[in-house]
Amino acid sequence: MKKKGLIFLALAVAIATLFLPAVKVYVHSQLGAETAALYPQTVSLWDMAVRPAAGLPVDSIPALGLIRLDGWMLLTGLALMAVGAALPFIRKRGCMHASLAVTCAALGLLATFTLQVVNVSGSLLFTMLLDEVQVFAYIPAVACLAQLVVLAVWMKGGESLDVNDMAWRRLGGVLAVLAALCMLLPGHVVSVPDTVTASPADAAAMNGTLSILQEMTGNEPNLAALAKGEGVFADVLTGDLAALEPYSADANNIRGIFTITTSTASMNAYLVGALALLLLSALLAFLPRVDRWFPLVCGALALVLVGASVTGMLTVSDADMFSTATRQLCKLGVGRITAFPALMLLVCLGSVMCGVLGVRAANEPYFVNPIPQRSRMRAAALFLAAAALIMVLLPGASFSFTKPGKNKVLSTVSMSGWQAMVFKTPEDILSPKDNKGKPIYAEEAGEGELNAHSAADTMGGITRAYGVTVWAALLLIVLGVAMLLRHADKRWPILLFLAAFAMRMGSWLIVSLQMPKVMGSASGTLYLYISLPLLVFAAFFSNFAHMEELPKKYKLFLMMLPFLLAVFLFSYLPLYGWSYAFYNYKFGIPMSEQEFVGLKWFTEMFTNQGHRDNIVRVLKNTFGMSGLNLVTSWLPMVFAIFLNEITHVRFKKCVQVFTTLPNFISWALVFSFAMALFAMDTGIFSKFMLAVGAIDEPVAWLNSSEHIWLKMWGWSTWKGLGWGAIMYLAAIAGIDQELYEAAKVDGANRWKQMRYITLPGLLPTFFVLLMLSISNILNNGMEQYMVFQNSMNKNTIEVLDLYVYNITIASKGTTLYSFGTAIGILKTLVSVTLLFSANFASKKLRGESIM
Amino acid sequence: MLLAKENKKQVRHRNRPKLSRGDIAFNIVNYTVFALITLACVFPFYYLFINTISSNELVRLGKIQLWPREIHFENYVQVMKIDGIMDALLVSVARTVLGTLWTVAGSAFLGYLVTKQEMWLRKVWYRLIVITMYFSAGLIPWYMNLRTLGFLDNFWVYVIPGLVSPYNVILVKTFIEGLPPSLEESATLDGAGYTRVFASVIMPLITPILATLCIFCAVGQWNSFTDTMMLMPSGKYYTLQFLLYKYQHEAQSLAALVRTTQDANAMANLATKQTSLSVQMTVAMVVTLPILLVYPYFQRYFVKGIMIGAVKG
Repeated sequence: MKKKGLIFLALAVAIATLFLPAVKVYVHSQLGAETAALYPQTVSLWDMAVRPAAGLPVDSIPALGLIRLDGWMLLTGLALMAVGAALPFIRKRGCMHASLAVTCAALGLLATFTLQVVNVSGSLLFTMLLDEVQVFAYIPAVACLAQLVVLAVWMKGGESLDVNDMAWRRLGGVLAVLAALCMLLPGHVVSVPDTVTASPADAAAMNGTLSILQEMTGNEPNLAALAKGEGVFADVLTGDLAALEPYSADANNIRGIFTITTSTASMNAYLVGALALLLLSALLAFLPRVDRWFPLVCGALALVLVGASVTGMLTVSDADMFSTATRQLCKLGVGRITAFPALMLLVCLGSVMCGVLGVRAANEPYFVNPIPQRSRMRAAALFLAAAALIMVLLPGASFSFTKPGKNKVLSTVSMSGWQAMVFKTPEDILSPKDNKGKPIYAEEAGEGELNAHSAADTMGGITRAYGVTVWAALLLIVLGVAMLLRHADKRWPILLFLAAFAMRMGSWLIVSLQMPKVMGSASGTLYLYISLPLLVFAAFFSNFAHMEELPKKYKLFLMMLPFLLAVFLFSYLPLYGWSYAFYNYKFGIPMSEQEFVGLKWFTEMFTNQGHRDNIVRVLKNTFGMSGLNLVTSWLPMVFAIFLNEITHVRFKKCVQVFTTLPNFISWALVFSFAMALFAMDTGIFSKFMLAVGAIDEPVAWLNSSEHIWLKMWGWSTWKGLGWGAIMYLAAIAGIDQELYEAAKVDGANRWKQMRYITLPGLLPTFFVLLMLSISNILNNGMEQYMVFQNSMNKNTIEVLDLYVYNITIASKGTTLYSFGTAIGILKTLVSVTLLFSANFASKKLRGESIM
Repeated sequence: MLLAKENKKQVRHRNRPKLSRGDIAFNIVNYTVFALITLACVFPFYYLFINTISSNELVRLGKIQLWPREIHFENYVQVMKIDGIMDALLVSVARTVLGTLWTVAGSAFLGYLVTKQEMWLRKVWYRLIVITMYFSAGLIPWYMNLRTLGFLDNFWVYVIPGLVSPYNVILVKTFIEGLPPSLEESATLDGAGYTRVFASVIMPLITPILATLCIFCAVGQWNSFTDTMMLMPSGKYYTLQFLLYKYQHEAQSLAALVRTTQDANAMANLATKQTSLSVQMTVAMVVTLPILLVYPYFQRYFVKGIMIGAVKG
């Protein structure tokens, strides 16, 4: 009964928030002082959806009539939500499920409407329109989501529909097809306001819808292109923006609208992937022999991709954003989004849900692999080899052309293996042109210079050599695949795949080594690099082609591989950056053209007066502040010993809880506390000091360089004391109680027990921590010092890490990257040495290592 | 929990006899000192809080010191309207949730894998992973590496590099090694593969350590702001913590921001008028709130976690 109440509560909240302010309207002063005086004014969702005329004074500002929101979405969404709330009360089979579906639809509509409102209110062109969305605008959609959740939880306890797993599976397949079909529905609507164009006919010519499929293939509307095609907007395109001026203070905004180019020139990878997965999922769903997990997994992956593109939130970068240009159009006020992308997402979700229910309904929970066991290894090898084969045909080499003696890349052209195989080099490579269409290399050149003819000759040679390696790699892989299929000796495919690997490496070396420096650089593309591990794995699996299962040790290794890759990428690959220390590193130049300076930076640390002074200063700070912390590192131990003497359990617990709390807040927050407590004339510390007469006038506690080490020590102790004590408290709990009993019998008092039992019990822990902090003496972090640093105390607060950051990343146009790297190298070496010495000392003294 | 229980036992044993005068004096001093330390730890939170809910005019004059006066919540309402705060909140929450799940899932599975003796070259891989704990390539190489990999101005830089964290892997490994091996063996005999053993046997058993890792990770993710500062040069995907840092250090931009978001009617009322100080303090309070909310529930896990951590320095 309670849950039913919750459903209605959600509904009531959704309806009630309709009448609360949702959006604030501003008017640009250029529209006249009278109109501007009417604003800012708040408008509720209800106003926007149902009676825009009443909610917004369209009479005084006709442009406001342009806000065309799909009010029907809001109303229908609410109606569906109400139906969804009412349905569960009909005591019939399936009503709950129907209610769930209906609420899902409602959620889609409400969410899309909210998105519309948010997009329109962010519009730049019509600065007089809606602006500043209030929190209430989001609530109907959130309430609907809450209702959905409650329904789902409720249904879990309810009776099942008694549908068998195959039916669920087929339903999931049908829904996957439907989701794929949703791509044909319009995703965005472009609607150019009449007032922007010279005549209404122009506006009408520009209006239109475009399907998700179009967006997926990169055919997004580009207003400039559209306008050129239709022959409208002539004045705007030529730069005469007078007609538009009332709409925006900034002419650049308007020009921006018309020059938006599609940033997703290539196909939208997410949606292409999603489409492929949805179709695959549907196909697998209807093949009864295939395990039920396969369509489910495909559907779930598709769901993630669709969700990522629809919400635009999980995008890797802007370039992948779901119809970037169109979104921008919406933001600019010349378009809006429809409910259909959300619908697609929901259908996709439904498909996955059906898949899940199907798996749950089945009696057999285990995964059934459709490939017969004896040919699994062979299948894996074949699959990998086939993938590598395809990679051979895809773009494998990319050439960047520069003018002789210049570094700026004027043109980048990639060449596919397919083109190389027919030995027909693209014209762009033979006679490269820059982005204006001008040939990079002149037809006639002076003595010893590069002319177009010799450039074409060189490139022709390189591409022919590339073509030969492509042919070789292709043949080797095909042969390898044939051998694998023939059940021949397993050594053959292995050798062939490895040879193909060598060929791929060879093609990479040929293009990158043969390309003359004066013309630019060449390298392999992603496809080439991906094909290399594929070939290695194909060879690897070929080795086990006659076995039923991969030996366990390799199976485990393969599971481990992604993690090793991550470790390599994020921990070992940066070591390559140590080479910067030997160059005079500058941004934007390939490594091969950086100036090699040998050990210059290392020697400069000691010989260059300015650098040496700085290094000595920051080292002093580093050692000073680390030293203070080191010298007082016994504090947490004493804290723990004395805390242990407290007999009142509640009090003790309380102390422990509250003194640990500061450890869990960030240094930025600590600085907020410092700013409030130690403010020059309003802070409580100043007030207190004034009151007791310790100071006569307010002192700038934070903006001074006095006692900065002590202050920093104070803050780090405040933050770390309670936390540091936990480890010691744990150690105290581990001390044998009988020791205390025996001591008491011997007449030891409390002091003596603390001195002779607790303290010695804690010393090993103390020793380990001390050793660790000695080896970390150079790494005292930089967050703390970064937040507390200002121009007054910079000299005494800058520690090594912070100094490196300050002279490199933090300063624009710096040339000290190499110097910073050199410092980093020395620091790491010293730290590692310290750590090993500490470890050695620990082994000698205690016979136990700390690492 | 464990700790408290142990101590209780100990207390009962040790302090039954009558207290001498020295003991009483000691107790008084001890209790007072700890009360003061606790106060010092809690007071800043309280002080900031009363400063955000009191009249901004009184705050500006420095009249709010020990208790709030003229309470209002306008500061919080206004802060929520600052451009970019909602986005920053979303990014903060997203990175905390995704980053924590990713790191903990990675550490759990990797921690399980490295316990498998039969793995090919297991020791080599394990050492390769653990050794990264003790050295770092340094700030610039790290930065340039992420730059080359395309992680600049990219939300995923908050999440993906956290997949392998050696310390967590060691914790999980130590924990799994402490479990009875018979459970896993019986599952293997029933025909379960490695992933299945991990999912249905190991995972339920290692939840205590995973909970601890979750908390550490989540707090770390929520609190970090230097990564945003270095890796988001074009200002995308700012986090709340970073906004707070920015507000503290760029007082001018904050003042401009305060002016633009000001309501006409709020302008008239000095008590609720936003100042750069009030905005900064309120954002700080908003940032603290989640930690204060979850802290009491998870406090015991910290203790447990650090005790497990203590096993391996």
